[in-house]
Amino acid sequence: MAYRVLIVDDSPAMRTFVRRVLEASGFELSVCFQASNGREALEVLRKEWVDVVLTDINMPEVDGEELIRRLAADDLLQTIPVVVISTDATRSRIDRLLALGARGYIAKPFRPEELRAELERTLGAPCA
Amino acid sequence: MPDIERVLRESVDEVLEKMFFIRSFGDAAGVSGGSELVAYLTFVGKPSGSFTLRATLAVARSITADFLGEEDEMLDDGQVGEVICELANMICGSALSRMESQFQFRLASPVLLPTPPADRGATVQCAVELYNGALAVTMNMEETACSPTEEYVF
Repeated sequence: MAYRVLIVDDSPAMRTFVRRVLEASGFELSVCFQASNGREALEVLRKEWVDVVLTDINMPEVDGEELIRRLAADDLLQTIPVVVISTDATRSRIDRLLALGARGYIAKPFRPEELRAELERTLGAPCA
Repeated sequence: MPDIERVLRESVDEVLEKMFFIRSFGDAAGVSGGSELVAYLTFVGKPSGSFTLRATLAVARSITADFLGEEDEMLDDGQVGEVICELANMICGSALSRMESQFQFRLASPVLLPTPPADRGATVQCAVELYNGALAVTMNMEETACSPTEEYVF
């Protein structure tokens, strides 16, 4: 199965890197949407269905935490799993975001295989 | 502050290896010779402070090429600056997460500076030699931690 993925990060370089890492890890990617903050991500999600959202936390306008909160409150979008990619690996931050509705969390820096493993765990299936 | 120095060095090595596929050749005296890029950010938490990353232009361009999977000659200055800021963000976040995993912290967005800022408070430095130059990081930590109310802002 090939997956439709939305990458949310205010850094174009980081979005490019995540996409490159997904492809390099053997992750089956059919479509890769990108958004630079939570507001843009919600606009994409109102038009396009995705299998998983990969999001940064610290972003302008609507940050990753608010994005998770809004997705969790949306009857249609709440089923889309969200995986957080963040530099903050403190336990309290991870627990807080998982409690808000994030299904996975990966701390930067990460190896390609670590990102793929977290996606496989979140999606509940091998991703290649 | 030997422990913080060790943590900072481990963070530099881990970020370079995992995200940029680069291994350092050991300690460097510092960044010198020719033009350089300086990325700077502040952080609030326990501790609060600032973080500075300096890299020679050659190092900055090769790191950017590795990160984006592009050829050096295809890169523009904006991409190089953005990746160096992202590198600073990741090393700083990694070091803070290792130093204090119980308290949350907030990183400001990194910015490029024309020259390195003056050191303030307790300073920890680390410089590594890469194949085409040096990369150095400095962490300045304020003596006072954030107030109890600030802990709940995040």
